Amino acid sequence: MLKVIGGFIGGVLVVAVLGYNFMGNLMFREIRSPFGVEETVARIQQNIQNTGNGWALSGLRNPGKAVENDGGNTLPVMMIEACSTQYSGPILKDDSVRFLSILMPCKISVYKKNDGATYIGMMNAGLMGRMFGPMVGEIMGHVAEDQEKFIQFDPGKPAPAMSKATPGGGAGGSGSGAAGGC
Amino acid sequence: MTTNKIYVFKRFERFWHWSQAMLIIFMLITGFEVHGSYPLFGFAKAVDLHTLSAWTLIGLWVFAIFWHFTTGEWKQYIPTTEKMIAMIRFYSVGIFKGAPHPFRPTTLKKHNPLQRLAYLGVLLLIGPLLWLSGWFYLFYADWQAWGVDNVLSLEWVALFHTAGAFMMLAFLIAHVYLTTTGHTPTSHIRAMLTGWEEVD
Amino acid sequence: MLSGRKTSLSALASCAMLVAMTAFSAPAPSLAMSAATPQTVTDTRQKSASTADHSKFKELDKPFRTGPEVTEACLICHTEAAKQVQHTKHWTWESVDPKTGQKRGKKNIINNYCTSTVSNEKDCMACHAGYGWKDSSFDFTIEKNVDCLVCHDTTATYRKLPGDAGHPVYERREFPPKSGKFVDPADLKKVAQSIGKPSRSNCGSCHFFGAGANGAKHGDLDSSLQHPGKYLDVHMDEKGLNFACTTCHATSSHQVSGSRYNMAAAAKGPAHIRGNPDSSPAACQSCHGNKPHPQQMAKLNQHTAKIACQTCHIPEYARNDIGTELSWDWSKATRMGEDGKPFVRKDSAGRRAFDSKKGAWVWDSYVIPEYRWFNGVSTYKVIGDKIDPSKTVQINEVGGSPDDPDSRIWPTKVHRGKQPYDTVNNTLTVQHTGGEDDTALWHNYDWQKAIGAGMKAANLPYSGKFDFVSTELTWPITHMVAPKEDALSCAQCHSKDGRLKDIRGVYMPSRDANNLLDRAGWALALLTLIGVLIHGGIRILTSKKEG
Repeated sequence: MLKVIGGFIGGVLVVAVLGYNFMGNLMFREIRSPFGVEETVARIQQNIQNTGNGWALSGLRNPGKAVENDGGNTLPVMMIEACSTQYSGPILKDDSVRFLSILMPCKISVYKKNDGATYIGMMNAGLMGRMFGPMVGEIMGHVAEDQEKFIQFDPGKPAPAMSKATPGGGAGGSGSGAAGGC
Repeated sequence: MTTNKIYVFKRFERFWHWSQAMLIIFMLITGFEVHGSYPLFGFAKAVDLHTLSAWTLIGLWVFAIFWHFTTGEWKQYIPTTEKMIAMIRFYSVGIFKGAPHPFRPTTLKKHNPLQRLAYLGVLLLIGPLLWLSGWFYLFYADWQAWGVDNVLSLEWVALFHTAGAFMMLAFLIAHVYLTTTGHTPTSHIRAMLTGWEEVD
Repeated sequence: MLSGRKTSLSALASCAMLVAMTAFSAPAPSLAMSAATPQTVTDTRQKSASTADHSKFKELDKPFRTGPEVTEACLICHTEAAKQVQHTKHWTWESVDPKTGQKRGKKNIINNYCTSTVSNEKDCMACHAGYGWKDSSFDFTIEKNVDCLVCHDTTATYRKLPGDAGHPVYERREFPPKSGKFVDPADLKKVAQSIGKPSRSNCGSCHFFGAGANGAKHGDLDSSLQHPGKYLDVHMDEKGLNFACTTCHATSSHQVSGSRYNMAAAAKGPAHIRGNPDSSPAACQSCHGNKPHPQQMAKLNQHTAKIACQTCHIPEYARNDIGTELSWDWSKATRMGEDGKPFVRKDSAGRRAFDSKKGAWVWDSYVIPEYRWFNGVSTYKVIGDKIDPSKTVQINEVGGSPDDPDSRIWPTKVHRGKQPYDTVNNTLTVQHTGGEDDTALWHNYDWQKAIGAGMKAANLPYSGKFDFVSTELTWPITHMVAPKEDALSCAQCHSKDGRLKDIRGVYMPSRDANNLLDRAGWALALLTLIGVLIHGGIRILTSKKEG
């Protein structure tokens, strides 16, 4: 009996450790972009605006600028912030899941690595959503579907201009996010 | 059958052995990381630690060489054929039948003939190979000043150094195992810790 | 007997100790940094250190209509200045390779940016330190045609535009044409009265904008260096050391040191004393020496035998939004829009991506350099040189090899292009691009006419047949030195897929290994392990049987 219980606890621990190690990979994704940083950003921005479902750009952050102001260097990083009131509304109205506002606005990160290539980092919204009940799960499922559209590129189309300024706001930040419709 | 104890390893010898053992194991770990076999400390840290251990080992060796020659202990490594065949028979046959160890260590002859040969090999082959190649590796920038830059190439120096490391690794594995072949499986190890070896 | 041995052994031991200790205590370059304490030089413009106030000179207290008139006034006092300038590349646009005697310089080479100055002098000479070089008839001996102001103006109002053959703007003009932006002529009297030492902006007025756009050409030089932060350049940091270009490119008799054409790629020895005629003041080593790292980083000092300082300390170039051009494809030029009219297009970051006049470009920022062995000398394709169109044409062959003691691994910018060549004579062509005449490519969009006119001006035969060939231009990167915290880390090169993965001729731990030895070595270790396990296993089995 002791062996059975011991084995069970052991099994649980192994799964827990494995889960802990793979959680990062499950919760976030990284894909390689065929374009440079600016063009990747611009194409994602364009996709976001073409997706409908209430999506709007709410900011473009460059965390590298803060490092530069401190006298240091980073390879370029740009964070595209987008929001859809259609999806954010129901979550924000429900007290039990309002804390999920920390995930808003929806962020996609575009950055260069030392191999010179550009990468796109994003959250696995579908999986994340399922952890917080059916309502959030369903919404985040839609977000995940839309996110897929954000990173579908048509190389045949010419590169759009990167929009540094967001509707009603400056170059990113909370103020512009508010003005962006969320 | 009574168990006798004799004093085989002196205090400095034991200190030398264990500190050297730790340094060599640590240098194998850091060395193979520098070689690119796996990531552990990170390349820069591994190089620093490897270099630091090397200098520590050099310091230790300076004392050890001094000690060996002033005490005459260096004679322990002179090879002999006496009981050589018996030792080989023991390791290959006798040990499995519970035959008695053919070699009885004394303070004057603490190593069996195979040990003598193996340690001499480490001292005269693997050691110098690692030392010499390591020294040139470390002072790569001074080759020109030493006038050896046309004779040596880093590739070959690294090759010999790595070869020495592999030999040292193989020695280490065999050595650790053979420590269990004494009067009892732990008697050799205990001797190296306390200085006193149990003999039949 | 024994005591004799004891003595010799203790001597040996002490020798070994001594060797070990001396190895730790190689002389440290103490001079390097302490001499360069930051001084308050930020306000040189407002408060010149000069002993002469040019606004008090009666020679300059009169209206000037043209540049040469100002120069004549300058030469009243500075009698030798023009003669000095006329011996510099800034005037001759020519540089002679001291080893091969090859004549290079903008006058003689064909590059893969704007290609050639010949037949385009009116445009190109906006960056000539002189007035009136509009064609090959230019007289290089006339002193009043030396342009003092472009380097010594401190008002930032003196501007030279394409089309004027080096003259400044004399009449208010729309520039770029049809842009709605206007350039006003400078008040030449005021400019002359407020001259000073060249600032980053003076040098940058040409060197930041090479190839016709900000940052396009060099990548490590662009307008962000007018007011750089520490992250961008630790020496030029406006709030810190605030170096001018001439702090490193120390200048004597108007000869600016540190030309890309003859670089000190492997400066050796400790920091130089200024004035040492053998030194190369623009090299990092001239201040830092070739053992610049503190003693606890001695391993890094050993790297200076193979690696240029720039390789680690300029981890990326064009570290800003301006970026730099990676390629220029001339074969796309003359392509018209759907309406049949010439058009321009910008890339996502707002940089030129296409122009019917010039072709297509690819830009990038924060560019990771390509690394090459380099000994400081490049051999250039000069006008008329034969090419092999079946291969990518090297506009310049970067000299150097791993076996050459004067070569170091350098970061470079490789600019890839496609440009026209004569398919019969196998020469890169000279084309007449700028201008308002009928043969100018940017006016008539006719390659045949443009090449014909260009080749004629260059006195080269032209078969009448042309095509486009791929070319590469390789330049060392040496500006935009990052703070030391941002230098490359060891593992960025010492790894299987690191920055130097394509560099041959040097053994790098962690990158390189002998596969055969590795396999044999691990096999030896594994077999030993298996051997002792079997041996031990049998021992356990047999002892159990007996027990």
